Amino acid sequence: MVLEKKSSARVEAGQRRVLDEATRQRRLTRQLEALEKDNFQDDPLSSLPPPGPTARLPAFSESEEPEKKKRKTRGDHFKQRFRKNFTTLLEEENLSEKPEPNYLSAAAPPSSLPPRHFCCVCGFPSHYTCTTCGGRYCSSKCLITHRETRCLKWTL
Amino acid sequence: LYSQVEFADTSIIITEPYFNFSSIQESMTEILFEEYQFQSALRTNAGSLSAHHFFHTKPSELCCLVVDSGFSFTHIAPYCRSKKLKEGIRRINVGGKLLTNHLKEIISYRQLHVMDETYVINQVKEDVCYVSQHFYRDMDIAQLKGEDNTLLRDYVLPDFSTIKKGFCKPREEMVFSGKYKTSEQILRLANERFAVPEMLFHPSDIGIQEMGIPEAIVDSVQSLPEGFRERLEAELRSLVPAHLPVSVLLPANPVCYSWEGGKLLAHTPDYDEMVVTREDYEENGHLVCEDKFDI
Ligand SMILES: [Zn+2]
Ligand SMILES: [Zn+2]
Repeated sequence: MVLEKKSSARVEAGQRRVLDEATRQRRLTRQLEALEKDNFQDDPLSSLPPPGPTARLPAFSESEEPEKKKRKTRGDHFKQRFRKNFTTLLEEENLSEKPEPNYLSAAAPPSSLPPRHFCCVCGFPSHYTCTTCGGRYCSSKCLITHRETRCLKWTL
Repeated sequence: LYSQVEFADTSIIITEPYFNFSSIQESMTEILFEEYQFQSALRTNAGSLSAHHFFHTKPSELCCLVVDSGFSFTHIAPYCRSKKLKEGIRRINVGGKLLTNHLKEIISYRQLHVMDETYVINQVKEDVCYVSQHFYRDMDIAQLKGEDNTLLRDYVLPDFSTIKKGFCKPREEMVFSGKYKTSEQILRLANERFAVPEMLFHPSDIGIQEMGIPEAIVDSVQSLPEGFRERLEAELRSLVPAHLPVSVLLPANPVCYSWEGGKLLAHTPDYDEMVVTREDYEENGHLVCEDKFDI
């Protein structure tokens, strides 16, 4: 991976700062990574104490058997193995070398339909592009909000 | 429930994603046989169980194409009878998780910080989101002011004391101009309702450079071996009226469709031939699984 020089991220264009292509791409990648994050959450209701008089839970004795030196079970072995992240596992599979259909070859290719554009503030169809960051906006009202909130404040 | 099951006498059917990594497949088998000591196991794809369910209920059908939209991704998978046509499988990296995360993100930016409220926002998604039949027309409606905006919903968030579960304010109680007098926390949703599921059809709307479901289906069918496409088309032609080029089946209960398929599969006479037993595994290791399971 080539490290981009951070200082080149903002190019002067007249008076206004402009984000270069590499920064725009980094911004998009970061957004998409955030959308991929695991998001499992338990029902908040289930963690609330039950209504009515609080039932007293049995207090488990902690001094019965010191659990410090627990035997290494197979479960630990699995945990070790699963510590690899997705990218590592993907690389280990060496799929680009394989001729038969696989995880990589199954990826849906880019769409051939023309891209659609939506205002990054309100989500309605947009006709204008922010000259500073390349974000889309639909009206001067949304452009003002965009400038005040995300436009340059989202840079890495 | 688990405590009522004796694993050593039980066979398990477990599903994995298409093209699951072999290292994960091996670990899965190890866990099933060594940790849980199952009597036998059948590892398969959820789509294969759906296909089995479909062919079982419609014995005259020869081909089908399963669209399986799950938590992490959406798969298109063609089947010819029990045979999975691997060259036609397509994966779109859009699933329920991404839709919920995106909804969380736009609500947090536009009106209320809900980034830590996955559970609640997932419920909002299930309660208010829908797939638009006329995308740009709905965009126009969603932009209207006042009562003309028939797509607008005010969603009352749960506070987990008096309101246990969120809900949409009934239309007649909605306040279109001004503020509510009640102290409830309300999300106002309009284009979010259909722009979020739209990512399944146009992942490029949010910068994911992949085909949406309809395009990926065409791409899948076009990649299939000589004859399949013609065969599929010919069969579809003979099955549906001429003005309908494709038949799409949405099971009455799509969430359980593949599970039901697994149940059916477990009762077929060949089931014992499909599984790997613990004995088998202990003797031959992963090889026997590689031979038998086609993930
Ligand atoms: Zn706008
Ligand atoms: Zn901008």
